[in-house]
Amino acid sequence: MIEVRDISRRFGRLVALDHVSFKLQPGEIVALLGPNGAGKTTASRIIAGILAPSEGDVLVDGISVREDPNQVRRRCGFVTDQPALYERMTLRAYLGFFGSLYEVPDPAKRATELAVMLGLADRLDARLGSFSRGMKQKVAIARGLVHDPQVLLLDEPSAALDPETARTLREFIVSLRARHRAILLCTHDLDEAQRIADRVIVLFRGRVAREGTTDSLRAAPQPTYLLTYLGDETAARAALARAGVAAETASANGTHAVRFSANDAATTNPAVLRALLEAGVGVLTLTREERTLEDAYFAIVSQAKQA
Amino acid sequence: MRNAVRIAWREIRWEIFGDRSAVLRMGVFALLPVAFVLTNRGARANDLALFTLALQSALFPALSGVALIASTFTQEKENGTLIPLLASPVRDIDIVVGKLLGMIIPVFAICVASVGLYFGLASAQYGASRVALALPVPILFSLVVVSLLYLLTAGSWVLIVAALVKTSRAGQQIAGLLIGLSVIIFTGLGFAASNVAGGWALVALGAALVISDVFALEIARRVWRREEVLARI
Repeated sequence: MIEVRDISRRFGRLVALDHVSFKLQPGEIVALLGPNGAGKTTASRIIAGILAPSEGDVLVDGISVREDPNQVRRRCGFVTDQPALYERMTLRAYLGFFGSLYEVPDPAKRATELAVMLGLADRLDARLGSFSRGMKQKVAIARGLVHDPQVLLLDEPSAALDPETARTLREFIVSLRARHRAILLCTHDLDEAQRIADRVIVLFRGRVAREGTTDSLRAAPQPTYLLTYLGDETAARAALARAGVAAETASANGTHAVRFSANDAATTNPAVLRALLEAGVGVLTLTREERTLEDAYFAIVSQAKQA
Repeated sequence: MRNAVRIAWREIRWEIFGDRSAVLRMGVFALLPVAFVLTNRGARANDLALFTLALQSALFPALSGVALIASTFTQEKENGTLIPLLASPVRDIDIVVGKLLGMIIPVFAICVASVGLYFGLASAQYGASRVALALPVPILFSLVVVSLLYLLTAGSWVLIVAALVKTSRAGQQIAGLLIGLSVIIFTGLGFAASNVAGGWALVALGAALVISDVFALEIARRVWRREEVLARI
């Protein structure tokens, strides 16, 4: 559906994107993550056909953005972090205007459909300037969907939205995945990315620092385990040392906890439990720690900085 | 060109007539001839004065149009509203022409109305036969054509400036400079048109504006390539 082929983009001396490649399939949500200036917005604008790459090419449905940018634009819906609306227009006129630019057969009907879909039906004839921030962002999304595109490019769509509106937006994006749309989500919201993205691409200084499924990125190189217990801390430490485990310890409200890494959990964990029980320590829980996407992201960015 | 018309119509309907202050500003320019005539009471006005007032009636609204075009483009860049338009499957030339027409058509209509109003009021004030002699139809027509050419030229140059600058303030400052230069040229032209070469100065100005139009529109078309404009947002 989207094939980004070795694209680079320079603005004068600044290299915003440096030989970036990735693919995006229908029915897939891919999160494009990275710090400010990593090249997320530049990448999405190139895919949308509004910014030409300095090198490389992007194919959307097999159509080259270099050769036929207008056909690429027809296939893409583009939503930016700022709603960027013509605020003097009414919702009906605004969606109708963009519908006509995309040559939608009945723009007025489509405007009504979208307004109903996004819960704005009662505001069709209100001027956009009177809308709240959340409503404006919904209008921006409606504008991106006015031609029912196969590809949706979302650049920080939930920035500055209240939690309820952000959740509604997330649910809506997920519903589009069910309709086999390819969705590229540029975001700083790692929680949002973890919740809805199938795959994650981390950009750093214009390059792909890591790419993979959300689960594979979250998986730590060495699994860590958290064990909580009641009893003597010194005895517990000695028991862990006997089991050959290097652990970090912490205490709160009379409950102690240790965190340790284990490559071979089937061997290490029973040994740890046995040593603690023999030392008379009362083990409460032993759980494998799940790394959040945020943890993984910071680890990837940290590695990229050092590289 | 259908998309250019759509863009132009949106500008006229929503940005000009949807903005009360824009309507008010243009209305003030349309009423300028009333003030001109009323401040030149009696039959003292000579042919040069009649011509100069007609020229001002035609061109003052056009000067306001230049400022309007400058603010429209730079504000679109500043507010980010240009990005959705650039993301739509519309040719670059349709965006340029649509935006330009959307500003020029209403301003030109005000120019024509202003000249018409001036002619009517001057006829009532100084006598229809005298005004008809000083301002024959070809001269009135020339004034209207020159105002249209001026709008096209100045609009195109302002468009180029708007593509190159980042803030509406910078755009307005350069548009202000252009307006100032225009006022100086047109003030001198009033004298020249009546006293030098029997009105050929107007024709010469028209020809110069046409040449400038061609250059300006071509440069505007090149500068307003999506990737170039977007790189400056």
